[in-house]
Amino acid sequence: MGLITKKHLHRRTFLRGLGVSVALPLLDGMVPAFAAARTTAAARRFGAVYVPNGVEMRMWTPKTEGSGFGMSPILEPLAPFRDQTFVLSGLADKVAVPAPGEGIGDHARAASTWLTGVRVKKTEGPDIRAGVSLDQLAAQHLGKETQLASLELALDSVEVLGACDAGYSCAYANTISWRTPTTPLPMENNPRAVFERMFGASSSTDAATRQARLAEDRSILDFVTEEVKSLNRTLGGGDQGKLHEYLEAVRDVERRIQTAERQSTRELPVVEQPMGIPDTFHEHARLMYDLMALAYQTDLTRVGTFMIGKEVSGRSYPEIGVPDGHHACSHHQNDPAKLAKLAKINTYHMEHFAYFLEKLRNTPDGDGSLLDHSIFVYGSGISDGNIHFHLDLPMVVVGGGAGTLKGGQHLRYKNDTPLTNLYVALLDKLGLPMDQFGDSTGKLDYLTGI
Amino acid sequence: MKKMSLAVMAVVLGWVVLVAADPNPAMLKKNPGPTAITAQPVVMHAQAAVPASPAAWSPQTGGGAQAAGTPTPARALVNRYCVGCHNERRPTPAGAPVMLDRLNIDDVSQDPAVWEKVVRKVRSGSMPPAGLPRPDAQTFQAWMENLEGGLDRLAAAKPNVGRPAPIHRLNRAEYTNAVRDLLAVQIDGRAMLPTDDSGYGFDNIGDVLSVSPGLLERYMLAATKISRQAIGDPTLKPGTTTYKTSPLLLQNDRLSEDLPFGSRGGMAIQHPFPLDAEYVIKVDLSRNLDGAQIRGVHDMEVRIDQVLVKQMTIDAGKAGMGSGKGLPEVRIPVTAGSHLVTITFVGAADQLVPRDARPSDPPPNSFAYQLNPIDAAVSSIQVIGPYDGKVPKETESRKRIFVCKPSSMKDEQACATRIMSGLARRAYRRSVTDADVQPLVKVYQAGREKGDFEKGIQRGVEALLVSPKFLFRIEQDPTSASAGAAYRLSDFALASRLSFFLWSSIPDDELLNVAEQGRLKNPTVLEQQVKRLLADSRASAFVSNFGGQWLYLRNLRTAAPNADLFFDFDDNLRVAFQRETEMFLQDQMQTDRSVLDLLTADYTFVNERLARHYDIPNVYGSHFRRVAYPDKRRAGLLGQGSVLTVTSYPNRTSPVVRGKWLLDNLLGFAPPPPPPNVPALRENGEGVVATTVRARLEQHRKNPVCSSCHSQMDPLGFALENFDAIGKWRTDDAEAKTAIDSSGTLPDGTKFNGPVEFRTALLGRSGDFVANLTEKLMTYGLGRGLDYYDRPVIRKIVRDAKMSDYRWSSLIMGIVSSKPFQMRMPSASGAAASSVAAVPVDSSMKGRAQ
Repeated sequence: MGLITKKHLHRRTFLRGLGVSVALPLLDGMVPAFAAARTTAAARRFGAVYVPNGVEMRMWTPKTEGSGFGMSPILEPLAPFRDQTFVLSGLADKVAVPAPGEGIGDHARAASTWLTGVRVKKTEGPDIRAGVSLDQLAAQHLGKETQLASLELALDSVEVLGACDAGYSCAYANTISWRTPTTPLPMENNPRAVFERMFGASSSTDAATRQARLAEDRSILDFVTEEVKSLNRTLGGGDQGKLHEYLEAVRDVERRIQTAERQSTRELPVVEQPMGIPDTFHEHARLMYDLMALAYQTDLTRVGTFMIGKEVSGRSYPEIGVPDGHHACSHHQNDPAKLAKLAKINTYHMEHFAYFLEKLRNTPDGDGSLLDHSIFVYGSGISDGNIHFHLDLPMVVVGGGAGTLKGGQHLRYKNDTPLTNLYVALLDKLGLPMDQFGDSTGKLDYLTGI
Repeated sequence: MKKMSLAVMAVVLGWVVLVAADPNPAMLKKNPGPTAITAQPVVMHAQAAVPASPAAWSPQTGGGAQAAGTPTPARALVNRYCVGCHNERRPTPAGAPVMLDRLNIDDVSQDPAVWEKVVRKVRSGSMPPAGLPRPDAQTFQAWMENLEGGLDRLAAAKPNVGRPAPIHRLNRAEYTNAVRDLLAVQIDGRAMLPTDDSGYGFDNIGDVLSVSPGLLERYMLAATKISRQAIGDPTLKPGTTTYKTSPLLLQNDRLSEDLPFGSRGGMAIQHPFPLDAEYVIKVDLSRNLDGAQIRGVHDMEVRIDQVLVKQMTIDAGKAGMGSGKGLPEVRIPVTAGSHLVTITFVGAADQLVPRDARPSDPPPNSFAYQLNPIDAAVSSIQVIGPYDGKVPKETESRKRIFVCKPSSMKDEQACATRIMSGLARRAYRRSVTDADVQPLVKVYQAGREKGDFEKGIQRGVEALLVSPKFLFRIEQDPTSASAGAAYRLSDFALASRLSFFLWSSIPDDELLNVAEQGRLKNPTVLEQQVKRLLADSRASAFVSNFGGQWLYLRNLRTAAPNADLFFDFDDNLRVAFQRETEMFLQDQMQTDRSVLDLLTADYTFVNERLARHYDIPNVYGSHFRRVAYPDKRRAGLLGQGSVLTVTSYPNRTSPVVRGKWLLDNLLGFAPPPPPPNVPALRENGEGVVATTVRARLEQHRKNPVCSSCHSQMDPLGFALENFDAIGKWRTDDAEAKTAIDSSGTLPDGTKFNGPVEFRTALLGRSGDFVANLTEKLMTYGLGRGLDYYDRPVIRKIVRDAKMSDYRWSSLIMGIVSSKPFQMRMPSASGAAASSVAAVPVDSSMKGRAQ
């Protein structure tokens, strides 16, 4: 079932889980930047995985702290990765806590602030405003060399109707990734669409075909650029906003094509596209993790985000004995039966994350594995879903960060330490030192290197 | 939790104290003095102080009427019933305080937005809050009419027609339809493009539809695929298209009209074949969720356009079935174009026996079915190809594109220009100039140099499909527009508004021609065109897109009733629910009924599966037909399984969700959302004695935080309690083992018992229902959120439509003829179009990005 199950990567590996066969290039020889990166000791890949509705904290938080901590029931699936795992307690998403007059809408705030760290504008209209998210900052840096700056994945459709959350535009609840403060990135839940985004329309591996295709794309983009320019000449200044967005998109795609052209001689996977959205959570989640891993393995991107569920997700999990909706369980009112069900869901999610980590650990990369050179953040913008609590969040960081992280610790920070202090620390390890991010008040300490 | 209740208590307390302390003399005189907090409403006696005759309400011109001396009747009324909470010293509500003591009620022009809000709150019955004094009906009506009259006159004098986004991206449904109408190519938009964000309840809101690099990539990919398919590009590589059935689709009967008589199960798909070529059709029979093996020997048929192309016998005993290996397949030549592919089992003999006389199978949602599949069923079909493809001789798409055929090299350029001009006119929805066509011809030329004439045209079409002129509806301010003054839309822009409203697609040739001749603005011509568009089959997009979102029908796709409790819920029922409501809406519109008939219609459309669910006898087969209800309990939309299912939880009905849905979508009085830390209802089977949802909600409403809204929502939901979570009629609560109590009270106090009386009570609020529907239609039609300045327009449409019995045509014509639909406000800056012409696009962009 696994994407790559052997310690040593065969050049031709069969992806049974995907129904896909991929000829994997040798990662070492693949990207010249890798060789350089190895000496600079910065993490080369970043990912963030979001779980909605908070978690059952009593089953999440390890009882002991420090390096001798014992895994909690929900975190147990991470046991194989213990020495590359940080469990971080006490961090707070303070900008999700309602400001005076801001009122309800905690779910939308939790998702939209989790990676942005800024107070988002409460509006249902088009005037949405959050901040550039952590993954997108990373993508500005790590995405320069790859065809895709970043990949945004989800399991829920964004098509569910009705209100998303009180007074907040659906955009806030539908994504955790913000390219700019006003551009939320849509998260894709169809594996096939993700696949096409990664590998393009032509399933041919032939370099000449690919190059011809890229040239065609380029000429279409030239055409679009000219069209936008001619429209701009006739439109009033105030009317050009959306065209500006379109032109920005054109530029972005152009950059991607340039990268692709530079790398067009590279051997790319031979692939049969995934069929569509699998029927069960289990298959769907695994397939999306497979694709995310594949994107890292083929170096199509170095940054990814994945929403296991939208906030307020009412998905039920009959396969693990939870026929109730997730959101209903999260408003548990301290009922032991509901808490137990919530913990089951949380653990189930964690098992899937561990499946993904296992794939990365089994993929050799330079002097170690992909996991050794990556940083993954997993957590939620809510701790206790019952009261929409945004403090003492469930957060873990996994990965070696190319030698910048040495895990195996449960760290408890002073209450109300901004979550963004963690991000400042991580940005540092990603080679992007910044003094401030969102509502940060400093850089999280003890998240030390070797 | 405790804190929250205290806070609310404080607010309530504050109100009472303020009432007592209000210095207004009228207040003090009439008020016996509520010095203690009592649960009883403060009763006002002296109604006579407020003139009841509307004549006495004539507005007084000029502000300051409230300065000294006797307050005007309106002011006196506001002082008495509203100012107690809504005043400067104690601004309420907290987030956006309304301070009615400060506003000049005798001149609504100063704060029309606030007064519109007052109208809404008071009309809905949510203000003054339940339990507090309210004016008597006559006074109330007179006051509202006076207030609305003032607002309407203000709007008539200085109309604000609003400003939909000047650049409005086509959404996924519109793109799909536009491609169909432009190139005769049917695409699966849901697979090709990402979901659009919604605003104001709809996914066609111009300001909300954004563009990202990811989306552009998808557009480029789509353009490549579509253009190649339209042309019939012989270099197309084989690809796989997969069609799946739901695991919950019961396949023991003939499933649709498209499948042959005597067949069982399987599926019918309309597949676009891009080339005259060979294709492999592969069938996956693994049936149940965990892919267990099927049993037995089955005869299958593959047909294309009803012609039998292959008969197969599937022996489940053979290794590999259901494991993805060695799937049954056929390889056959198919001509290019869209063809109906059907794959079915040859029916069993007992099909001649009526369904209800046959022994029943375990339902597919049940555990028993998962373990013991009764029969083989088709779980998916893959169409793989084309192999050895040739340019098709003739397809509808090629007919549309190749309006000329160059006989020699020297004709090519002229022919290409002609082709691209024709396509661009329809794609850009207006007459085109050289400046529009030449860039496309340039792309054609580049393609021609690399290949042949057809390759060049394919490239031209590909470019056309990513042109911003196609992807965006652009409503450009005329140079003559001056800031703040509404201007009339061009006929072309009006044609687009019309076709996107009623078809979710581009205008057809006739509409474009009428617009080009400048005749569309003529009211008679406009009405003719509206009628023509509504009668066209493309108007089904209106039903699925407007109806699907207004009534939340789209959520039906993801509804997952709990298998243990609703084991007879299968996909056949889900599909039937959807079809029923769509056919019902379509019929209501086509026969131009009163929109109130949506609530009261005594008929619906059912097939055998749905009839069984509704206990309607003597309906056999998969064909949907019109049936009259034997009694009134299921009449109208509120008795339809679709609506009842999307407003339920997987495990039970929710009077709250149903009540909220009714308030939001039918009456237009959206209650505010709940605060955090609200205890969820205790579910049955969790160590408590099973009780009805009603009893549990009553408990819930004892909490004052909850009560203010739930006292409005829940009673409406109770009315529908006789319908279970999948819309089946019930008289008893199976868990609590008690009779269903479906009595309740509307927010205005009207009592009802059961769905029939509830419907009558709703009809008593028919004005609210029609106004709300009009608002939804207007939001959808304009593709923008409505604002206070739109309310007078809504009121006018509703007033006018009343004379036509609120027929669909009267509402739709009302919207189409309204100023907001025919006009728009220019950009606030009023930037002259030519002023930016000389600025290079890059630097102007940079300037704007600051």
